[in-house]
Amino acid sequence: MSAVDTDLGAPGELSERERRAVEAQLFRVADDEFIQAERYTFWQVRAPTLESDLAISNNAQDELGHARLWYDAIKQFGYSEESLIWEGNPDDFQHSTFVELSFEEGDWADAVLRAYLYDEAEDIRLAALAESSYEPIRDRTSRIQGEEEYHLEHAVSWLERLVNNENGREQLQAALDRLYPYALTMFEPVGDVEADIVDLGIRDRTLEQMRTEWESRVTEQLTELGLDIPDTGPASPTGRDNEHTEEWHDLFEEMTSSYRNLGRDSATKIMTDNE
Amino acid sequence: MNVDEVKQNAGPREFNPRDDLPEEYRKAATRMLEFHANSEIMGAYLERPFIRKAPSLERKMAFSAKVQDEIGHGQMLYRAAEALGVKTRDEMLDDLANGDGKFLNCFHYPMDSYVETPMIAFFVDGAAMRRQATLKKSSWEPYAHAMDKICFEEGMHVKHGESILRELMNGSRREQEMVQDAFETWWPRILQFFGPTDDDSTHHDFMSEVGLKTCSNDQLRNSFLNGYMQKAEEYGLEIPEYPRIREQGDGQYEVVEDDLDWEEFVTVSQNEYEGSIEQIGGRKQAREAASWVRDMFDEQTAAGAAPSPTAAD
Repeated sequence: MSAVDTDLGAPGELSERERRAVEAQLFRVADDEFIQAERYTFWQVRAPTLESDLAISNNAQDELGHARLWYDAIKQFGYSEESLIWEGNPDDFQHSTFVELSFEEGDWADAVLRAYLYDEAEDIRLAALAESSYEPIRDRTSRIQGEEEYHLEHAVSWLERLVNNENGREQLQAALDRLYPYALTMFEPVGDVEADIVDLGIRDRTLEQMRTEWESRVTEQLTELGLDIPDTGPASPTGRDNEHTEEWHDLFEEMTSSYRNLGRDSATKIMTDNE
Repeated sequence: MNVDEVKQNAGPREFNPRDDLPEEYRKAATRMLEFHANSEIMGAYLERPFIRKAPSLERKMAFSAKVQDEIGHGQMLYRAAEALGVKTRDEMLDDLANGDGKFLNCFHYPMDSYVETPMIAFFVDGAAMRRQATLKKSSWEPYAHAMDKICFEEGMHVKHGESILRELMNGSRREQEMVQDAFETWWPRILQFFGPTDDDSTHHDFMSEVGLKTCSNDQLRNSFLNGYMQKAEEYGLEIPEYPRIREQGDGQYEVVEDDLDWEEFVTVSQNEYEGSIEQIGGRKQAREAASWVRDMFDEQTAAGAAPSPTAAD
């Protein structure tokens, strides 16, 4: 099936049903990338070595760049950066609660494992969006895929290093037990829009199919490394339905504090559009 | 080479790790590079909260990139220092965490508000640029070489700082007043960046003779004031009356020494100021919390079982 045959057309040409489904897909991917990046920046000037500091900064900036691309696609529906991020309400966000959890200083196993679990999910999601019926999604996906592949390799190479060490393995297992139920929230549905996303060809796989593939990849990789996958379902709240943890509320408050304290009414753009 | 031979041969990029250099030179160059590298790390540490607090997505990206650049500069400078064979990078980083490492005065003052960021990113970085440009002629070739890349990136950082300052000073009256307040707090510290005005720093003569310093602090301060007093005024900042700065009529400036708080400066340079304790302590805590990862690397290296060292970088 050629993507062009089923192309939904330009943002202004979508029916209400199509637009609702496209927006739902865009919001979750934009917010996931943004908040995952925001949490990565916690490690800047705090990572174990200068080299790992530089590497996690790269990841953060890649994800921020992706978030920017996705938000630009959302802005085509008339939203602004101000309304999407700075003047919004923390409950407007639809990222999975997995990406909003705070890091403990020094818990590098959490950083490595979180990156790995996220990058596997992102790899699967991007593959499912590559032939999207909505052109702005197809276009962005192909630009982003190369970088995400590198992230995955990097995360796996860190996992291999950590499991070589007794302490490292224990810390990874503890992080896995804590994070796994939250990671599952990445695949949680939010009502009838889910069926539309797939029926309209915006994404070519269901959340359940994606979760099954993710579980199988993650189980194979982590079991091979000697870690035990916890037997558990998704955590609550999931984030996808706009319900979040207290940690997100605190992060949002801090993130938007300068904008509010300065009494800003616009978010500065310093790069030219479409790079 | 002995010290006299070093002095005779001193010139831009004259010495490299293959040269047999006297201890005096290697120690002096190590001290200077260590100070510079430490300053990159502590400057990054000072700005890091504003990655999170930046008021737009693209500002956030720019802060993240800048902080990353500073860590990269630290990495290059520690490497240039290690090549002198006096101290290892881990020793320098441990000293920094323990409060034994020295770094620039301005990085001892924590920032609370976003309006303070251009004080570092425009003025302090601008001042640092003056000094750094002269270090491309350092006699220690690895230092000069590192400065080629660092100066290029610092140029971008100053533009980032200037862009933030311009935006704030074109913003609401409230924003302008907040920036003016921050400027008045920071201006004396910025003037002290180049050290006491009579430039009788104990190491200066030797440092010049062996080609590690190519410009005096007075010359650098003058060059900075020549450019940045005017820029501050162009953006609508008012230069505070004190500390008094006298223009000598020939483009030379004299800062009235007694108008600056040198007691505080000394406390800062000894890492004993309350801000020093906060900044060094915060960084130390982060470094200690992640020490288990470095210990693991050390064990793996000792056992010869480490994957290639760059694989997980």
